[in-house]
Amino acid sequence: MYVSQLSLRDFRNYQRLDLHLDPGITLLYGPNAAGKTSLLEALYFLATTRSPRVSADRDLVRWDAVGEAGVTPFARVAAEVQRRAGRVRLEVIVQRRADEAGQLSAASTKIVRIDRRVVRAIDLVGQLRVVLFTPADLTLADGPPSERRRYLDITLSQLDPHYVRTLAHYQKLVQQRNSLLRAWRERRRPPRAVDEELAYWDQELAAAGGYLLAERLRAVRDLNGIVGPLFQAISGGDAPLTIAYLPGFDLEAAHDSGTLATRLGEALRAARPEELARGQTLLGPHRDDLAFTVGSVNLGRYGSRGQQRSVTLTLKLGEARLMRQRSGEAPVLLLDDVLSELDAMRRAHLLEAIRQPEQQTLLSATDLSDFNPAFLAAITRLRVEDGRVYPG
Amino acid sequence: MTFSRGECLIAEPVARLIEEFSKLPGIGPKTASRLTFYLLRAEEEQARALAQALLDLRERVTLCTRCYNITVGELCPICANPARDQTRICVVEEPLDVLAIERTGVYRGLYHVLHGHLAPLEGIYRENLKIDELLARVRAEPVDEVILATNPNTEGEATAFLLLRDLAPLGVRVTRISRGLPTGGDLEWADPDTLGAALEGRREL
Ligand SMILES: [Zn+2]
Repeated sequence: MYVSQLSLRDFRNYQRLDLHLDPGITLLYGPNAAGKTSLLEALYFLATTRSPRVSADRDLVRWDAVGEAGVTPFARVAAEVQRRAGRVRLEVIVQRRADEAGQLSAASTKIVRIDRRVVRAIDLVGQLRVVLFTPADLTLADGPPSERRRYLDITLSQLDPHYVRTLAHYQKLVQQRNSLLRAWRERRRPPRAVDEELAYWDQELAAAGGYLLAERLRAVRDLNGIVGPLFQAISGGDAPLTIAYLPGFDLEAAHDSGTLATRLGEALRAARPEELARGQTLLGPHRDDLAFTVGSVNLGRYGSRGQQRSVTLTLKLGEARLMRQRSGEAPVLLLDDVLSELDAMRRAHLLEAIRQPEQQTLLSATDLSDFNPAFLAAITRLRVEDGRVYPG
Repeated sequence: MTFSRGECLIAEPVARLIEEFSKLPGIGPKTASRLTFYLLRAEEEQARALAQALLDLRERVTLCTRCYNITVGELCPICANPARDQTRICVVEEPLDVLAIERTGVYRGLYHVLHGHLAPLEGIYRENLKIDELLARVRAEPVDEVILATNPNTEGEATAFLLLRDLAPLGVRVTRISRGLPTGGDLEWADPDTLGAALEGRREL
């Protein structure tokens, strides 16, 4: 699939933009803070309804945006996506909200449309599939476990509407269950009939968690078939990369959703005293992790900086290949200023990987000297300066 | 918005009404002033009618002693209507859900309003809902079927689970609306056709 048209209004530092995009490789270049990253962010936002950079949507609205008469300022991102199944038009509007005194508040509302029809934000996920690779991802191997869970969740959410819905349901269940456990721990609620009160939350948590576990295990299995040899090629090394899924309890080799749900339910019951003592849900997909090993070496813990970069690059390219394998369509690759972070060999691998048929890639860089003339001649170049885009 | 009454820039009753309007959700100081000055110039009858409506809201609207829907007087019109099917109770979260189901025109039984859903996150537990009141009704009234029409989202399902567990020992038939309703949705916002189909396609629990 590829994005053929991107339109922005009051998004980040763009006042207005109507950009035609080619299906192949597009290089966005220009000085720092010119708006290159914002273009990639806009596409990521359309794909996931989240920004990779900010936690609050209101920050997406251009700082001096003015609304129309009687309307608070808003940002609008829209794109036309060409897919095998046909063309689709995606649109998200983030509108700032005013408080009762008429001042702009911290709150914002989000309106999502697919082909001009208003839908829920969750329905947008998977319409446009992207793989984003930024310098922040270079700590994927040795950073906090939440980043590795996010890697799997974002991949699977874009591939499977049922995954993203179950994940949202699961997260709500964990929140409700944690509130209950915390109320008991803080003695705001008498710890009577604990099992009865937890019965529903446990049952649902186990069912949703079992499904998420099964899907994650299947993704790890498929990824291992892809990343093993890919890593060898990228690192020029001896041994393949292996991803291991690290659950917080013994799965006893179960891999189907139903059995995993039963195992999670049993593990939750066994962990009851500790959960009551700590006031939180200690087991389940929201606590799991991934480990990356080569030979017998855990690269997250003992890998060199170079090896850890190779792991990230392998995982990102692996994610794209998994999406292509499962959906039959290549996702759009968004590479934000990562080439300067890679050495010559890894860079060559990355550029090789994106030079595939039916692969749209948008990459950003501060200058052109990182690229050889033959590469530059074969791609589309766009110069980005001060919230404007010029043919390049 | 506050007015320093010492300066007396604005007559005290005017300032007081502006301040009261400003406390309402969605009304800022500008709107509050506009409403106040409108009423100041309007016919006296209009101001009296508004004042009476406000007083009636607090003094006359109560909860139906049978189904806990909002009503005027002891029983709501639905509970007081002997033509309604007395053997069915449809359990909903909020009074607005009763309106939504009535709009479908397919249901002729009675209701029971829980006034909320199970949500520890919001500090809402079983004892905050009208569940014991429902159990008492099922024991005392000639009920054959209880239809659980809580919202098809996480909290609504949790509430339905709890209700089923409590109702099961009473030997009453318990069904759940489901078909056609989008998960994660709210009953109040479902269109009448979808909600009507959900009621007719209810399943045994
Ligand atoms: Zn009533």
